Amino acid sequence: MEKILDKKQIDGWVAALTANSPDEWEVHTPALEEGIWTYQPANGTVRLDHPNTKQSPKEFAFPQREIFFSFEQIKGEAPRLTQIMPKEQRHAVFGVRPCDGRGVPRMDKVFNDHVEDKYYTSRRKNIAYVGLACNKPPSPNCFCLSVGGSPVSTDGLDVQMTDLGDRYFVKAITETGKAMMAAGGKIFADPSAADQKQVKQTHADAVAYPQRKINDPDGAPAKLKASFNSPLWEEMARACIGCGICTFLCPTCHCFDINDEVHNKAPLSGQRVRTWDNCQFPDFTMHSSGHNPRENTGARLRQRVNHKFQYFHENFGTHQCTGCGRCVSECPVGIDIVTVVNKVTEHAG
Amino acid sequence: MPDNIYLPQLARVAYIKEEVVGERSIKTFRVEPVDGKLFDHECGQCAMLSIFGRGESMISIASSPLIREYKQFSIMRVGRVSSAFHELEVGDVIGIRGPYGNSFPVDDWRGKNLYFIGGGCGLAPIWPVITTAVAQRANFKNITVFYGGRTSRDIMYRTELEKLRESVDVHLSIDKAEEGWNGYCGFVPAAVMDKDPIPDNAIAITCGPPIMIKFVIQNLNNLGFKDEQIYTTIENKMKCGIGKCGRCNVGKDYVCVKGPVYSWAVLKNLPAEY
Amino acid sequence: MINIQDIRDTARDMLAKGEVRAVIGYRRGTRGMLAEPAFITDPEQASELVWDPTCFHNLSLYLVEDRKFLTHIRKTANAPIAVVAKGCDARSIVVLLQEHYFKREDVYIIGVSCEGTGVVDERKLAPLLNGVQATDAAFDGDDFVFTTAAGEKRLPAREVMADRCLECRIPYPKEHNVVHGEDKTGRQLAEPFAALTRFEAQSAGERWDAWSRHFDRCMRCFACRSVCPMCYCEECVVDSITFPVTPATSAEEKANRIRWIERSATRSENITYLMTRAMHLAGRCTDCGECERACPVNVPIRMLNNKMEREAREKYGYEPGASIGGPSLVASFLDSDPGDFIR
Repeated sequence: MEKILDKKQIDGWVAALTANSPDEWEVHTPALEEGIWTYQPANGTVRLDHPNTKQSPKEFAFPQREIFFSFEQIKGEAPRLTQIMPKEQRHAVFGVRPCDGRGVPRMDKVFNDHVEDKYYTSRRKNIAYVGLACNKPPSPNCFCLSVGGSPVSTDGLDVQMTDLGDRYFVKAITETGKAMMAAGGKIFADPSAADQKQVKQTHADAVAYPQRKINDPDGAPAKLKASFNSPLWEEMARACIGCGICTFLCPTCHCFDINDEVHNKAPLSGQRVRTWDNCQFPDFTMHSSGHNPRENTGARLRQRVNHKFQYFHENFGTHQCTGCGRCVSECPVGIDIVTVVNKVTEHAG
Repeated sequence: MPDNIYLPQLARVAYIKEEVVGERSIKTFRVEPVDGKLFDHECGQCAMLSIFGRGESMISIASSPLIREYKQFSIMRVGRVSSAFHELEVGDVIGIRGPYGNSFPVDDWRGKNLYFIGGGCGLAPIWPVITTAVAQRANFKNITVFYGGRTSRDIMYRTELEKLRESVDVHLSIDKAEEGWNGYCGFVPAAVMDKDPIPDNAIAITCGPPIMIKFVIQNLNNLGFKDEQIYTTIENKMKCGIGKCGRCNVGKDYVCVKGPVYSWAVLKNLPAEY
Repeated sequence: MINIQDIRDTARDMLAKGEVRAVIGYRRGTRGMLAEPAFITDPEQASELVWDPTCFHNLSLYLVEDRKFLTHIRKTANAPIAVVAKGCDARSIVVLLQEHYFKREDVYIIGVSCEGTGVVDERKLAPLLNGVQATDAAFDGDDFVFTTAAGEKRLPAREVMADRCLECRIPYPKEHNVVHGEDKTGRQLAEPFAALTRFEAQSAGERWDAWSRHFDRCMRCFACRSVCPMCYCEECVVDSITFPVTPATSAEEKANRIRWIERSATRSENITYLMTRAMHLAGRCTDCGECERACPVNVPIRMLNNKMEREAREKYGYEPGASIGGPSLVASFLDSDPGDFIR
């Protein structure tokens, strides 16, 4: 299903989705707050003129904090566990860039592989991603083309929108996307031949736009494997301060911690909670004995880079990194994954 | 696997034994289900044990899969959660979920000579293989157990090991000579060399401190054991136990899924990050 | 006007003579115009050093890292380590020296003056560049000059300088072994604590609303703490993650480790984290502004530290990092200290 949506009508589409009884959508759109773009509940005028949001949309299916269950225990009795599943509520996320869209199936793989993570899947099944193609790279550090993506990729999206100036070309990718567009009814118009031509040209121009480049993405898994003991890792991680910016902003980083949060000691009550964690924190792999397999920033940088460009590829046949460039732009000390991968693979073997 | 992979089943502590008292203390626990049955497991697999309010720990299941009534765990007191375990009393209820990880391919070893080489608390993860092999004694040829503790006080499963002598060769060792100790004195890898195990038609299974494993494997190689004949079980810090939290990976493998059991032939090709 | 060649010569000569074992400075990064920390051990590498308005990092952080590394490998250094330091950075070094983190002879300070300007605030610059990326930034008197694909863009430094630079009265590293650039102490382009004063003009309700939104946005990436030279505690009180466990740490110590806050990035936990950190920096923060710059979600962290620094100045006449021989504010007591707030 391919339609045209006048830019002045986008608020109407969102309103139709929000009012879509009995399956109302909670719609989230990019909004500028305190100088950064974040996803906010749609509130009046919808803006889709963002470069990319600061944080990826992974927070919808994989929130920073997820309560697993609550526990209560009176001394002498057995504990009582109460499972706490996410609320059944449909969410539509607008303005999702193709790199973030590609992140979704990668997260889906992780949380469904081997066994199903019900907290993730129960949220995921209720989320629709309405993407926005990148007419030009939103960031000077974009490199989606290097990792098998593209500024017009539809992977992971339910709907793809393309900005044609005063209107959007809107294309349904999944059945859910079709249903969402149907909910908009007459707000949408049929595309003309000129529209189709313009979309084609816009997409062609988008793909031709220069980006940063991973020099040998196909050779990266083998070359990184051969470079495990390279002294380059410590050298390139020398400035690393061990914060969580690269991982928390990444659309495909999924590491988490599980902790019991105690609200009351006697009688005991509390919750078992999952929170985002980060392989760059020094204690991430620290054993209780004091042994730490990844003792320095070089080993931890190597872990992140290898996970993105080697391990995930060995397990699933595709790179985990989608080239959004956030870790490159936001690292306070300039650690640049594109430079790191290129330098290490260049010196491999 | 249950519907919600993170929700533990409740289990009651039915038995506690102080294996090693004082420094490096180890306690053995046996847990029974509060309701219904506990999951079945295979040799080498682990379970996540919960003490609500303190946290979870991934512990090797030390009892044989042939035992249905309870599951056994031997836990050394090293930190936050293990300390909470050492405060438990019989009758206390904990959480358990599992089984996690892969298992020793015991069925492939029928008709072979088995050498078990353990050190310290590392006897517990290979104990199910030993006891299962002994229970199915006719399926295997010679069974030999090498086990060493830092001191005689650190030797766990003392009574059980003495009983094992009825059907298998047991060689105990301690690091340094002690009054009254008649067994071998020296590190476990040397204790193994002392008895000159033969690689023909043999499998060696080893677990213990990383440094011990390293030298045991070196010595076995020198004796002619091929990498495919040597098995070990490794550990890493774990939280989810199901390959999702991203913490325990060694290269592309999550130890909680593709491990913890590895033949040296496979393990030596993984990055040394454990 | 500073000639970068002078800084390079200093670094090269010190390394060639073996008088320092390494030089921590700035070099061009791989992301457009931005500089990044450089760790130079070979005199030849000195030619990589740069000095431009994107040299915002407080390199004294890496003196702390170096000291921790030496302690970890149980070695003492055979020569001092050199570091390029701006005024604020040099004051950080003074605070570290007051706290006896290392000795004065362990560090060779290559001071650089910000003269009449300072470093650029990327958040102020972005709208003025209209989406075009700058590939180079340079000092030029009272201006910054940016090179872009669309040509050169010259801007008055005042318009794009970081707030902390505007408010800075001592853009000069008083503590140094060698210094480049003129001493413009006393220059001030904005009132001290100007940003804080502006914010405090709002009502309590408005301020709480604003801060609530900031606390809600914080994701506890700990960038603010990681980038701060003063946050050198191996065991961070408000963080159950960092706990220096060694084989010698007893089970009791690990079992009894208090978790002051949970890992959840919820409002209550974030408030406790940010406020506690501000309290622990009272009298120690030299306003390098790195915490706020590093924050990916624009929490105005600097404001919290400024509040405490203003207290220190007004109540005790204290300015952190003023002189090595000076007392550490929170580690010393004078009979003349005000006590009117003790009830």
